[in-house]
Amino acid sequence: MNLLLSASLILLTLGAYLATRRIFLAYRHPLLNPVFLSTVVIISLMKLTGYSWDDYQPAKEVMTFLLGPATVALALPLYHNRSLLRRHAPTVLAGVAAGSLTTMAAALVAGRLFSLGDTLLLSLGPKSVTVPIAVEISRLCGGEAPLTAAFVVATGMLGSILGPGALSLLRVKHPMARGLALGTVSHGQGTAVALMESETAGAMSGVAMALAAVFTAFIAPYYLPLFLR
Amino acid sequence: MTKTAFNISWQVLLLWLVFRLGTFLVALLHLSLPGNVAGMLIMFLLLASGAVKPSLIEEGGGFLLKHFAFFFIPISVGLMTFGDLMRQSGAALLLVLTVSALVGVAATGISVELLQGRSSR
Repeated sequence: MNLLLSASLILLTLGAYLATRRIFLAYRHPLLNPVFLSTVVIISLMKLTGYSWDDYQPAKEVMTFLLGPATVALALPLYHNRSLLRRHAPTVLAGVAAGSLTTMAAALVAGRLFSLGDTLLLSLGPKSVTVPIAVEISRLCGGEAPLTAAFVVATGMLGSILGPGALSLLRVKHPMARGLALGTVSHGQGTAVALMESETAGAMSGVAMALAAVFTAFIAPYYLPLFLR
Repeated sequence: MTKTAFNISWQVLLLWLVFRLGTFLVALLHLSLPGNVAGMLIMFLLLASGAVKPSLIEEGGGFLLKHFAFFFIPISVGLMTFGDLMRQSGAALLLVLTVSALVGVAATGISVELLQGRSSR
């Protein structure tokens, strides 16, 4: 396609990422999420200058080329926390399964109450899983990848803003319980918040994030259709 | 600097090969599992079995994980084709996302708190 345009859009995306990352690192508030802010900036600029998604797509292909190997690298934090995982395996697995199953069920049942269509419901299904894996699960189940990506980022923000307060309200005090809850529901963004609470909560959240992704990937193709009409 | 860049490059290539292997195996076995999840599981098994030392991929893997969020931006920009849907169902979706996130947080939090309370007493 147009090489110069694609190069400019890649530079725009990189620039937006680096700028919003600095803002986030300075204030560390979940609402200042770099993905959210960058997406808003890029879409606004493209709409203002009259460019469409078709113009952006070649640049997207180039930029997401390394997402596969990046996802494989998630094995590293899981490996580093393997002793924690081994010591508490039954509790960790039960907690991750409970959170993953209930959040998927709640999303699809609530979505049906609002009479959202099947494509939308299936796109909602994997929203608690880290983006690259959620997007693939969504494709496998018949959802729309960009919608799922947006739902994942929104869930990350919601869970990391409301999660800690909700847990305190429910008198969940154990750092392990708090970390697992935040990681299971709000993946990387939840893990960032859990890390601020304590080291144990952070490590547990990282483990939960990886396990929830694997668990959901295995179960979603069979579990999600149960909630469609 | 050059050495770091060199290390990152070939380690990322290694991770990419594992990713391709995962994708290949999933297709070969007709599994309904994302290739990247298979790749991650293979990588974990390689590390856990001692076949691959973590130091072999730490620099490249660390670099990719540090900038993990960057890769989500181009995917999220795809949302621009769903403007009508967002205007129509945006509020409902936000409510659905909020409720389901809270349900999940509560389910994991409470179940682990109960299980932990039992084992530590």
